[in-house]
Amino acid sequence: MEQEVLIAGIGGQGIQLVGKTLALAATLAGRHAMLAADYGGEMRGGPSQATVVVGDAPLRALPIVPAVGAALVMHDRFVGAVPERLRKGGLLLVNSSVVDVDAERAARYAYFELPAIELARELGAPAAAGLVMLGAFARLSGVVELERLVEAMRSLLPPYREQHAAGNATALEAGWAAGADRSATAAAG
Amino acid sequence: MSSSAATSGLELLEGSTAIARAAITAGCRFFAGYPMSPFTGLLESMARLLPGSGGVCINAQSEIEGVNMALGASAAGARAATGSCGQGIALMQEAIAETALNETPLVIFNMARNQQDYFQCTRGGGWGDYRTLTLAPKDIPEAVEHTQLLFHLADRHRIPTILYGDPLIAQTRIGVRIDPLELPPLPAKDWALDGSRGGTGHSRQIWTWAMGKATDPGPGPDRHWQAIAEKFERIGAVEQRSEGFGLDGAETVVVAFGSAAKFTAHVIEELRDAGHSIGHFRPITLWPFPGEALARATEHARRVLVFELNAGQMLDDVRQHAADRSAVLPIGGVSIHESGLSYGPLLDVPVIRERILAAMRGRRRLAARAGLSAGSRG
Amino acid sequence: MSEVIATDRPPEGAADRVAEFRPSLIVGEHSLCPGCGEPVALRILLETLQELGIVERAIGVVGHGCYGSFVRIMDVDVLQCLHGRAPACATGIKRVQPAAAVFTLQGDGDMVSEGLAEVLHAAARGENITCILLNNGVFGDTGGQQTATTVLGQRTKTSLDGRDPVSHGHPIRIADIVAGIDGVGYVARGTVGTARGVARTKRMVRSALETQLAGKGFSLVEILTMCPTGWFVGAPQGPDYMEQSMARAYAPGELRVSLGDER
Ligand SMILES: Cc1ncc(C[n+]2csc(CCOP(=O)(O)OP(=O)(O)O)c2C)c(N)n1
Ligand code: SF4
Ligand SMILES: [Mg+2]
Repeated sequence: MEQEVLIAGIGGQGIQLVGKTLALAATLAGRHAMLAADYGGEMRGGPSQATVVVGDAPLRALPIVPAVGAALVMHDRFVGAVPERLRKGGLLLVNSSVVDVDAERAARYAYFELPAIELARELGAPAAAGLVMLGAFARLSGVVELERLVEAMRSLLPPYREQHAAGNATALEAGWAAGADRSATAAAG
Repeated sequence: MSSSAATSGLELLEGSTAIARAAITAGCRFFAGYPMSPFTGLLESMARLLPGSGGVCINAQSEIEGVNMALGASAAGARAATGSCGQGIALMQEAIAETALNETPLVIFNMARNQQDYFQCTRGGGWGDYRTLTLAPKDIPEAVEHTQLLFHLADRHRIPTILYGDPLIAQTRIGVRIDPLELPPLPAKDWALDGSRGGTGHSRQIWTWAMGKATDPGPGPDRHWQAIAEKFERIGAVEQRSEGFGLDGAETVVVAFGSAAKFTAHVIEELRDAGHSIGHFRPITLWPFPGEALARATEHARRVLVFELNAGQMLDDVRQHAADRSAVLPIGGVSIHESGLSYGPLLDVPVIRERILAAMRGRRRLAARAGLSAGSRG
Repeated sequence: MSEVIATDRPPEGAADRVAEFRPSLIVGEHSLCPGCGEPVALRILLETLQELGIVERAIGVVGHGCYGSFVRIMDVDVLQCLHGRAPACATGIKRVQPAAAVFTLQGDGDMVSEGLAEVLHAAARGENITCILLNNGVFGDTGGQQTATTVLGQRTKTSLDGRDPVSHGHPIRIADIVAGIDGVGYVARGTVGTARGVARTKRMVRSALETQLAGKGFSLVEILTMCPTGWFVGAPQGPDYMEQSMARAYAPGELRVSLGDER
């Protein structure tokens, strides 16, 4: 089985880093991973997307992934585009700090939400909302273990950003913890 | 690195980096290029990796300079390469022809933006009677193999060879292994310039005209270029590579190359599962075009559909070699991403499926219009 | 190796043929015009390689011009390269064989017209190579058209009434430009129009190669050479014509020297 996840948000939210962290974590775990190329660029405020596919055998997935089994939505400007690619019943994890999904739409998916920005702020790592979401996603989907995410995150940090390592790790852990409690992350309505 | 990654041997690498690593594994020790997307990543990877492997990478000030630097390094015996995409490769054509005619091995990475460089890669865009042996990998793992093979073939035949890559191969990240390819040994490069024979009356010379020295005459352009032409004819016969599936008695055969062939193969597997009589044929070498294999593969086909992301370039080769040229139908087209740097919406599974099915539905009408072989093939 | 002619005692007998005085690295007759300056420059270059004892690690890169035919008669390793690109090819060679003595042989059409970018970038990289420019102010090989170095007033087949700055632009003084580039170790301009010029030019070629051997960066020697055919003057008039036209616009001398006291 191959697991695909679409990570969507706006430039400046660290979408590409979330994608790289996930793909690298899966690789470190000995699994096959792919991070599809993104041509939109990373302009602050512009759309940013990453698609990651993980599997246990050489991947059959194409480098342009037509449909995904999970989506991680960081910003509401792009939630509208997600249903085109997210399969019915797929896992939809939403950053409820800025994204509002109506009940009707949520009902089509295995829907979870997390106030990632508030959580990250409370942890003192306001820039790490994406990693909170990633931690939760990893737990909910079972795609990769927390330790691998932390390991991948650390090895992706350039030396001049090393001071963020501890905060980022806390963000991944908080997300991982939140993802354990499915009812807490699942939407009320 | 973690133990499981160590046992799987997989590393998450961007395609450009994987290709750079493969090139260095193949013994590439000189690289020069000029930035142009999506080739830039390969140039950057080479700049990062080559110096640590005893090699040299130069950010040249033009494609013309870059390719001539690589030519010089190769003339001095090093495995050397350059690259760009379509426009930059266009600037290199004089030098590519020169390497073909003066028999200096050279690997050229065309990290193309799309599939519009098929003619450029396969026809020989310079002057003179030569071709460029071109491998078109379908994905990154295959590009890692092809890169190594291209250095080998360039040396074995003393020719320029081209990797036809694209943005999907250059910029996707994937878990991949850089395994050295097992290749037969090659003779020493006794033709390479090192100065050592200076003053002996047998100093070396690399010259497209091959006239040799007064003390040691060469064949001259007439015989030399005839020999080059014969060499390319031989290469054309022995280096054809292709693969396919579902070709046994298939009514419909789809032909595609490079990344696009990965998409068409995906669709055709689905269509075969749904009971359609359809097979897939992928030229791996664009030149030499695997014409004999294609002729066999299309022997019983009622239609041969060519999917390529251009206005119909490989189409010429398919028409030339398909068992029945009137059965050949283009189903691709020009399709460019709005950035201008990658593929457009045509490279998408549902679109490809729809085009194939439409072509299959239109069969009778087409056959009737052609008014030829439809009946006799029954 | 070279056959050294002893000069500390009288010759044992009279020379029977003038051609015997050609250096042993020239292994055939050149086919250039009578009065051409290029064979003189070739001789200077090859003799200097011998005198420096670097023949067995010398690699030449030869461009396209009348001098291109020298690849047949020079007994050193040569790459005959594309028009204008010799400094790029020489760069590739030098980078993978740093111990080699790498030189280019180019004309003004080759280096200054077609290959201006290559020579300037090689100079700016401080590439440890030696470029020899044979400047005759015309495309000799193609029959005497105007190049980037044709002097003002010079008549060529593409500037029939003489080079006029309004319609044909100004000549480029490549050696002066290169001398102003950081990374350059040695630049000089010589001439083969006079016996004194030949002797001076030979010292310049030697200094240029020594600069390379010492790893002091890019070196260029521009040599003014007669092209009576392209100038449409008689062979015997070539040297005088050159002194009056080219040598005035391009003053001979050393323009940049970095090997100082250690020499
Ligand atoms: C790309 C290219 N363009 C044009 C030519 C034709 N061509 C050959 S020699 C030459 C002129 C060379 O002039 P120069 O370098 O000054 O040498 P000269 O003959 O004066 O010694 C030209 C234009 C060529 N060989 N290649
Ligand atoms: S045309 Fe000029 S440069 Fe060429 S051989 Fe004759 S004199 Fe020399
Ligand atoms: Mg000239």
